[in-house]
Amino acid sequence: MHLLDIKNLTIELPTENGVIRAVDKVNLSLKEGEVHALVGESGSGKSLIAKAIVGVLNKRWRVTADRMHWQGVDLMRLPPEKRRKLVSQDIAMIYQEPSRSLDPTAKIFEQVSESIPEESLSGNFLVRRQLRKKRVKALLHKVGIKDDKRVADSYPHELSEGICQKVMIAMAIARNPKLLIADEPTTALESTTRAQVFRLLKSLNQLKNMSVLMISHELEEITTWSHAMHVLYCGQMVEAGPTEKVFNAPLHPYTQALVKSLPDYAQGLAHKESFYALKGTIPPLQHLPIGCRLGPRCPQAQKQCVVTPKQKKSHGHTFACHFPLLKEDKKCNPS
Amino acid sequence: MQPILKVQSLHKTYHVRVGLLKRKNIPVLTDISFCLGKGETIAVIGETGAGKSTLAKLLAGAEQAETGQILLNGTTIEDDGVRQDHCRHIRMIFQDPTRSLNPGLTIGEILDDCLSYNTELTHKQRDKKIAHVLIRVGLLEEHYHYYPHMFSGGQLQRVALARALILDPKVLVLDEALSSLDPSVRAQTVNLLLALQKETGLSYVLITHHLSLVKHMSDSLLVLNKGKVVEYGKTAQVFAQPKSKVMKRLLNV
Repeated sequence: MHLLDIKNLTIELPTENGVIRAVDKVNLSLKEGEVHALVGESGSGKSLIAKAIVGVLNKRWRVTADRMHWQGVDLMRLPPEKRRKLVSQDIAMIYQEPSRSLDPTAKIFEQVSESIPEESLSGNFLVRRQLRKKRVKALLHKVGIKDDKRVADSYPHELSEGICQKVMIAMAIARNPKLLIADEPTTALESTTRAQVFRLLKSLNQLKNMSVLMISHELEEITTWSHAMHVLYCGQMVEAGPTEKVFNAPLHPYTQALVKSLPDYAQGLAHKESFYALKGTIPPLQHLPIGCRLGPRCPQAQKQCVVTPKQKKSHGHTFACHFPLLKEDKKCNPS
Repeated sequence: MQPILKVQSLHKTYHVRVGLLKRKNIPVLTDISFCLGKGETIAVIGETGAGKSTLAKLLAGAEQAETGQILLNGTTIEDDGVRQDHCRHIRMIFQDPTRSLNPGLTIGEILDDCLSYNTELTHKQRDKKIAHVLIRVGLLEEHYHYYPHMFSGGQLQRVALARALILDPKVLVLDEALSSLDPSVRAQTVNLLLALQKETGLSYVLITHHLSLVKHMSDSLLVLNKGKVVEYGKTAQVFAQPKSKVMKRLLNV
């Protein structure tokens, strides 16, 4: 059974000049123990989707979905109280800017110990206190913080961004969640600690069977260990499927451009030669083009592209494009 | 060939007050020396706290070094912390373009300030130069009247680049200037930088933790650890045969 099953998730923002559709009919499903990656550039609505799943979006946003099932329970139809309880039990999220998401008025020890579930501790008042101290220490060690005493005794503003990020991760895994949503968890970290965090998430995924929904705009970091990949552009799901397929044989021009813009994977590129890059920039939300939103930047755009392409599926590989790539190759090789 | 930028045994120490009377000296950079030829790129990598950003500030003249010399084209421009010419030939681009541009001024005014404080050009000549530089970084002349909030992140980085280029510098310091950009925008910016280097023979000091970008863009590589140079050589060679522990650790991950 699917752990998380979302169909036609739409997130809109009503404004004076009409409704802005920030996320347009996105499908996403996740099985237990799977690692999914949600890739897209800034403004593509990745964080909005994550927040909509957890249910912490601002009231101004209008969220609609045909279904949003968590282990068979429709989250959209639950009363807010029940939904919050369910979500807090099983889903944890790492937010984007750690130093802003932590409470500035409380010490790290208090914040981490708050996230440890009460029912996991037993014994009387004093024993529980000791246990909690131990757990906090263990959690901080787990995410690679060596001087736990100093960190636990300081406020968020006294710590570097990287350490705050690690504290956020420690708080997220304190409950042993079934699903961890990581919204750009490694942007503030340098490469060595970044690898550490990935190793940690990977081991949690393998040992505790925790599913991970990784959100990132860096393709190369996540391709090595995610099972499936979803590529977003301006709120539209352009391509989704098993990572290897999407990465090695992209069907959508946008995915192809993303892959080709990576220096390591653009094969046969000489030193200091220019990369393949799409023209133009990401349109702002107020001026989204109609139809396929990549249209104005797409090298293969034609007249039909003013109509929103339907999602097509073949061998578990979904894409939304009128003129997918690699079509002719099949005709050339009749077997 | 004479190097365009030569740095000789640069030292930098921060003084921190401890208690009432005591002072503590924290050495940030010790004995940094390197050369940079015309049209070449040197990449500086290292972990956080290795002194990369301090080196960038020293080069750009935002801070003074304790001892050591910086030579530009054979003439000394900084000797033991005394700087001769300020911010003309070595320019810097910062990490976050949204925060490094004045939100209260139009793009034209930002660029005009650079010129009016540093050159003797007349009003007309300045306007001409601004228009020229805007087109060179891939923007339009009309962007003169725009404010920074009207641009996207990638375009703002182009504005920052225009501000750096407008004084015709010889060396550009990029302090994590590419890491905050989205992949496709980053590819565009890298293309622009490489094209500029080919056309005008500009030299770059690239500070980043993006190793694949270092491999692609740089000619030589400087690895810092705790303020010391642990490895310095041609990029390809360092990547093929890393000698220091730090570089090996960076490559292994």
